[in-house]
Amino acid sequence: MSHPDYAQHAQHHACLLVLVKGIGGVLKNFNKLWERIQRVNNIKVTDSTGQVRDIWVRYVRDYPVENNDWGDFQTHRRLLGLITLSKFTNQIELNEVCRVHESLKVKYSNTLYDSRAFMFGPGSNLKKPEQEPETYSVYEEKQIEDKSSLNYKQTSEPGDSLSSNDSCAQSTSSSASYVVQEENFTIPSNFKTHAMFYGENEPVSDLEQNVADLINSLFWVVESKRLERSREKLDKVSLLLAPFEKRDFIGLDMDSRNNKKRCMGRVTKNLADLTLQSGLVAESLALYHSAAEILKAVNDWLWLAAAKEGHCAASAILIYPNLRITMPLHRNASLQESSPNKTKPLSLFQPGIDSFRKYKLTSSPLRSSKTSSPINPPSELTPSSSDSVETSSRQSETDNADTESLASSSDIEYQSQKSYITMDIPSIPRQVNNQYLLNGEDIAEKYRKAIIHYSKYQNAGIIETEACFKAARIAVEQNNSLLTSSFLQNVIFINLTLSEQEKIQRFDTLAEIYKEIGFLRKAAFYQRLAATRQVSANNPNPDWQRCYYLMLHSFPGHMLSLDPGQVVQHQIGWPALQIQLLQEVVVASRRMGHPALATRHMTFLLQAMWPHLSRQEHRDLAIQLQAVSAQCEGGPVPLVLETGEVIPPANLTHVPQCLSFTPKPLPLTRTPHSVKCKVQQGPFIFTPIHFGSLERKSKKEEGKMEYLWVEDDICEVQMKLTNPLPFELKVSNMLLLTSGVVFESLPETIILPPDSPTTVNLHGTPKEVGELQILGYSTHTLGVKSNCRLKNLPLSNKFPTSYVIEVIPSLPTMLIETCLSLSGHLNVSGESHSNVTNVSLYNGESTECAIKITNTSAVPIEYLDLAIQSNMDNQLQSKVFQWSNDDVQSQLPILPNEVATIKLKLYAEADFLDLGGVGENLFPNSLTSNYPSRVGSPVPNAQLSLPTQSSNPHTSLSSGLMVNRTSGSFRSSNSQTTSWSAPLSVMPPSRGRQVEAQMIIRYSGGAGKESHCRQSTLQFNLELLPSVSITHWDVLPAEIPTQLYLVLDVTNLTTEEMAFHYTSDKHILIESKESRRVPVPLDRCPFNVTPNKYNDEDTAESKSTSTSSGSLSLELMCSEHITSNVSLRWQLLQSGLRGAASVRGITLSHAMMDIVRMSPLNWEVSVNKQCIKPQEELNCTAGECLALGVSVQNLLSRPLHKLCLSVQFYQDYNNGVLSYKLDNRVATAGNNKVVLSTLTETSKAFHECTVVFLTPGEYKIDIQCSTTEPILEEPVAKEVDNASIIQPCSGEVNHVWRFIPPVAISVTD
Amino acid sequence: MAVCVAVIGKDNSPLYIGGVGNDTNTDNELSRQWLVHTALDALEERLATTNTNTANSASNASRTDLRDLYLGLLYSTDTHKIYGYVTNTRIKLVLVTSSTSPSGSNIRDAEVRTALRRLHALYADAICNPFHLPGEQITSSKFDRQVKNLLLNNV
Repeated sequence: MSHPDYAQHAQHHACLLVLVKGIGGVLKNFNKLWERIQRVNNIKVTDSTGQVRDIWVRYVRDYPVENNDWGDFQTHRRLLGLITLSKFTNQIELNEVCRVHESLKVKYSNTLYDSRAFMFGPGSNLKKPEQEPETYSVYEEKQIEDKSSLNYKQTSEPGDSLSSNDSCAQSTSSSASYVVQEENFTIPSNFKTHAMFYGENEPVSDLEQNVADLINSLFWVVESKRLERSREKLDKVSLLLAPFEKRDFIGLDMDSRNNKKRCMGRVTKNLADLTLQSGLVAESLALYHSAAEILKAVNDWLWLAAAKEGHCAASAILIYPNLRITMPLHRNASLQESSPNKTKPLSLFQPGIDSFRKYKLTSSPLRSSKTSSPINPPSELTPSSSDSVETSSRQSETDNADTESLASSSDIEYQSQKSYITMDIPSIPRQVNNQYLLNGEDIAEKYRKAIIHYSKYQNAGIIETEACFKAARIAVEQNNSLLTSSFLQNVIFINLTLSEQEKIQRFDTLAEIYKEIGFLRKAAFYQRLAATRQVSANNPNPDWQRCYYLMLHSFPGHMLSLDPGQVVQHQIGWPALQIQLLQEVVVASRRMGHPALATRHMTFLLQAMWPHLSRQEHRDLAIQLQAVSAQCEGGPVPLVLETGEVIPPANLTHVPQCLSFTPKPLPLTRTPHSVKCKVQQGPFIFTPIHFGSLERKSKKEEGKMEYLWVEDDICEVQMKLTNPLPFELKVSNMLLLTSGVVFESLPETIILPPDSPTTVNLHGTPKEVGELQILGYSTHTLGVKSNCRLKNLPLSNKFPTSYVIEVIPSLPTMLIETCLSLSGHLNVSGESHSNVTNVSLYNGESTECAIKITNTSAVPIEYLDLAIQSNMDNQLQSKVFQWSNDDVQSQLPILPNEVATIKLKLYAEADFLDLGGVGENLFPNSLTSNYPSRVGSPVPNAQLSLPTQSSNPHTSLSSGLMVNRTSGSFRSSNSQTTSWSAPLSVMPPSRGRQVEAQMIIRYSGGAGKESHCRQSTLQFNLELLPSVSITHWDVLPAEIPTQLYLVLDVTNLTTEEMAFHYTSDKHILIESKESRRVPVPLDRCPFNVTPNKYNDEDTAESKSTSTSSGSLSLELMCSEHITSNVSLRWQLLQSGLRGAASVRGITLSHAMMDIVRMSPLNWEVSVNKQCIKPQEELNCTAGECLALGVSVQNLLSRPLHKLCLSVQFYQDYNNGVLSYKLDNRVATAGNNKVVLSTLTETSKAFHECTVVFLTPGEYKIDIQCSTTEPILEEPVAKEVDNASIIQPCSGEVNHVWRFIPPVAISVTD
Repeated sequence: MAVCVAVIGKDNSPLYIGGVGNDTNTDNELSRQWLVHTALDALEERLATTNTNTANSASNASRTDLRDLYLGLLYSTDTHKIYGYVTNTRIKLVLVTSSTSPSGSNIRDAEVRTALRRLHALYADAICNPFHLPGEQITSSKFDRQVKNLLLNNV
């Protein structure tokens, strides 16, 4: 015997061996039929004594004839039955099929007892057009049974003749089954088998029945053999021999006592085998035992071993009935998956072997209940079939047998409940008290001994191997793993000359059993060994495919899973071995001709084993991967093998390695802002106060981003990648992996230098509104496409599983260009955030800036809002930047690619009054000192501190430089000093200043305009250069009383020569850095001018303070009058720049105010009845008598009381000294002082006196009018408090009005 | 003749594999790993059975403490014999002897036992290093040297 049968189990000792073979054409449903046949593995037969026999059958697909030779040694090795399944399409094929069947019969003629042929003809519905009954006479069968099988052919001859003769004639009703055949086909004459014909696609409903029929007949043969053997005289038996023993006994004395015993023992053993096969397990035990006793005595080790083994097998069958039930399931492919006992061939790494064991223990009842055991539902028993098998002589027996045995396994529901009971109950209780029954430990021990005995014979190596496997399987059932492994270990030491294929099978079976006991590592080891054998140099026909599958199935044993993520996560097993195995798998899959698999496994190796590989190995493997993937690119899709196994994708996350992954908010210009966002009110941007309840409610989920992305707008994710390989790595087609809304990712290709972190930006466009989840990125490198999910990244603790970003509806984008009209300077601002427009202006200069807005998106801009933010206060700001909002709104909507222009006027607002130093002098800047005439002018309210800009440094600082200062509180704090003055200018005129302002353009449109808008910022850097400054000023009365001169000291602060226009037609040229004094003629300030030209704010403030000082508003009025009437312009001659200047904020002393203001009294002074014009020179001679007439008209709206009109003469020495002591120089006639009790409105008073100048000289006449009535003013002041028109009058109390200028008379001799 | 020594962690991952290169096979290291790796099954099985045995019999409670750390021969191949030893913290020590060499074929059980005990002591010394993280591979060169020494001289 040279062909080991590794699949053998101990229970097969009790089985009848039947060969099932497909011959002829390939049957489509062969496997299905095979399964159905296999299910008929157990029938019950009632024997002649009425005992029910349990007959088991083992079906094989192939059986070497050589093994038949061992049939005497162990009878279960005999092939007893033959079933052929064949297909034919025409007569020739039919003949061929019949021939093959017959030749098979001849091949196994030594042992074959009976056969069946199932033939499948053409056509789907062969409806037995003609019944051509193959006679299956009872007689024939009896013959077969009675005779020994050796001469099967001869015995069947009578039948042959019968069938050929009666081919057309209807034979008796005893035909076994319908013979279905088309008329064209005829069966060759020498075909003497029970054949059944079917259409190819017919459901072979009576298959099971026919098979059971065959078994039944086989049983009776075996039973007869048994009886025959048992009746033999023990002392006359011939010696049974194992095949190799034939030579050994040549020349031995066959009649010796020893030999007799040997014969006896062997026959007993043979009988025991037969007994076991014929279903009498309990009886066989005793026979085995006695056989063993006899053989032991004669030292017939081989047969002793066989007897012991038989003993063990019989015991095992009784003790472990599950063994028998399990067996067919093992071999039954269709049920394999439902059987939990079998580990799934490619199950992933199983963490615990214990669970596996649990399966083993618990699953037995389940298994048995599912088993289809042939029992016989009565309905199946058709009269015809029962008749057919019967013989007249054994009518009763077969009847019984039939009812028991003929079975169909199709209705499992019915059987499942019954089968378990019917099978086991009758057999088990009988043997429990059998004295020869071995218990579990004894079985193992006996098997061990048997194996030792076998090992004494080199030629019994195969028997020994099989015995080891059988013993191991029993040990598995006993749940004794160590015992199993020791039996299996023994297999290795048996030295056999086997073909490569058989060696591989041996390893495979070893692996299978090791797997069953949970020795996954061992199993893996042998699987790998088998795999290497498949392709070893000794193997004449290497099979890479099987090698590959063996390797693949050894993964669990190496603690490898096919999912790289799992391997990376758990990191268990032996890296060195895993790497080796993976490399071999790669080779196998490549040699097998499946480059996709090779790429996949190579990727897996690189990815999963990354931490265990050295740098050099990284490099080598990467290069290998590149080579492999050149044949077939790797993709992130699971690969399905032919066996249905799925190789999950392997993603390279180590190459390149991702160090950081951050979705970026949109760039500032494109960041969406909430439309309804509140303007920052206070200085507190951040509040340290946490509202616990609110915080808790809005618990942020991890990875949720705070910013928004916009539909149809390009978004960005920033990654930092490193290339861990020592060569340049090209990563192409990098994309973002997203879920949620539709996202269009833009592929990116980069080349990474070795070992230096590189920043990569991945872009994409969300195409829908909603929540976008960014799960990771995909790469294409080394020829492998990988989907690198964040959660799978090696540094996965660094990353959330996904980033969630809210996508809002699309918003427009715009391009902003600014164009300064003057310089033509163009500034384009596109994407960049800060777009700076630099403008430099001289104080007072103004320019225009055009802001060109281009809609660069596909969404119309429907909302536009401009705002300025700067470090200036609002008022100043609104003066510097001016635009028309209506103009802006009228240009909306801006359609895509259209342009809108906004005109922005820039004006360099400044203060031109240079209020230099502050000292004792209240009017440091006035020209008073230059005008001696002013010296003596009374300053009645001098104690009232008159504000100047610079007197309070805080003022200028705060009002100018505080950003957006509108706070009333601040204003009120210094209202005392500054409230009256015009909007404060910040800036000392003599120095240049920088103004930084931002124009914030908020715009929106499209679907998202209701909620969000975008914001662009234009930066303006204004440089304000000093142009002119007014350092000193004073007022002079003009030639006509209704006018006055405002005298200004103007300094040109520029570097160019300047033309300074101070009236519409007068100008003066001022050199750079030079100062000039210019007189500006002005109308005097009329009384009834409303001083409150200013906005309400100022009015309110001035009112609040006016109670204390009426003169304040008076001064305000005058200052206002001057400011509004003086129009100063300048032009730089070189550059041609023009600008204006103003005297806003000018402060006036009381003396000045008198000049500025129209007098309330209208003076008319005449000398010798001639009216004096202002500035007129009067001449007279000494001694001449002059008549001086003064008339005063009250221009006020109320009467004046107790006016004192006085005329005084004095001499001005023009050095600041006035001499009033003119007693000996002037003589006056008439009063020089008159008191007017009342001067009503618009009424005139006239006074005349005569004067004679005694000595020549320059004289001046001071004519003045004063009220000497202080009582009246108080009530008046109070009354008029609210009436602004009369207000100035309240200041008239105690006032002195002069006729200005004083009349000057030069007296000559 | 001992050829290889392996220290295997609780989770059956290799902590240390060292051997003396008596046979100058290129796959020396790898084949040793195969040997040791496949021995783990038997080793685990043995551990499991001793545990259940002791658990089943309450009378043997005292024996648990005195349980022999030495597990004996795990399995043998044509060329090698593999012995196992397990510490109380489930660190497995595996010793592979070559049965082909003359000295190795008749090595005595007691010798192996003492060698494994020594190895245990060496291992204990090695992980006494405060900088050694339990569960990490043993990289100590001193340990390596001592183990090699042990292999060459004592067994």
